[in-house]
Amino acid sequence: MSNTTQNNEMKVIREVGIQAEICYGKAAELGDHAAHVLGNRHRAQMTGLENVADSTFKTSDILDYIKRQTARQSNWRQPYQPSPEVKGSEVGFGERLKNYLEADLKESLKEHLASIYSNLDIGDVTDEDKQERKRIHLLLIRQFIHHMVIHYEYRVSTPQNSHGNKKRES
Amino acid sequence: MPSTTQLQKIALLSDTVLYNEAVAFIRKLVKEQDCDPLPTSQVNGLLSIAESASYDELYRFVVHQRDRNWPPSKRDIKTFYTALEQELSLMYRKRLKDEFLLLTQQNAQEIRKEADEVMALLARDYIQHLVAENGILQAEADDKRRQNRNQRQGRR
Repeated sequence: MSNTTQNNEMKVIREVGIQAEICYGKAAELGDHAAHVLGNRHRAQMTGLENVADSTFKTSDILDYIKRQTARQSNWRQPYQPSPEVKGSEVGFGERLKNYLEADLKESLKEHLASIYSNLDIGDVTDEDKQERKRIHLLLIRQFIHHMVIHYEYRVSTPQNSHGNKKRES
Repeated sequence: MPSTTQLQKIALLSDTVLYNEAVAFIRKLVKEQDCDPLPTSQVNGLLSIAESASYDELYRFVVHQRDRNWPPSKRDIKTFYTALEQELSLMYRKRLKDEFLLLTQQNAQEIRKEADEVMALLARDYIQHLVAENGILQAEADDKRRQNRNQRQGRR
């Protein structure tokens, strides 16, 4: 790998890391939701999701995996209403995660993504540019899923958090 | 065998075009044309052919399923395969070359071979996306049925 390529790659990793921080709160919310509906007996489902995210080159493979899990496992379709004071979701975990990755993540980072593309000089005309944009989007999704799974692990690892129905620490 | 550039382009198309189209395809059948989602036995058969066979074999399977004499209770399956055959044909005849710009060969015989190989990959991704969405619609329908049954039992 040449020095220029290496430098560019470092820039991409840095930018993705910064943007992923912005979504940390949402990742924690979804991690809570997962802990509530999956509990600590279904860790494999979350590590499965992480494995798919890390091994694929297509965001659509991740979305398909979430859909398959949502269709097969009824707990992925469960909503989460922790308490009247804490905002939960009437939408099931799988659908909520899918909706977020499919549209909201990109939308909420629209301006930030535009600045990444501009900083890294990535256009939107050639196939190479589009591939690079797609790769950055995939890296962001991976980071998001890692944050979410870590938060899920944290929630289910301690007895007081294991039911996920406690108020989330602010 | 498709080149690395073609594979990258297929992956890009899968995320940006095929995914949305496959979702729209199955949702249109279920939500607008009031068809039932494709049953599990059909899903398994279709997925298995899409993942393991050549495009030619996949296409023959789709046509065979379309042309079977389905009983009235399974007319939705015929509707599904009729629509799928149309989608695949359009993709093969026109979009592969003119819209997706995926073909590189000049000679007619080589074009055919290349088109078959590339189309197998496109069709596989399209069907994978379609089946995943179908699963969601099937689960929604099952949940709704269960809810209605529980409500009816609750009233008794």
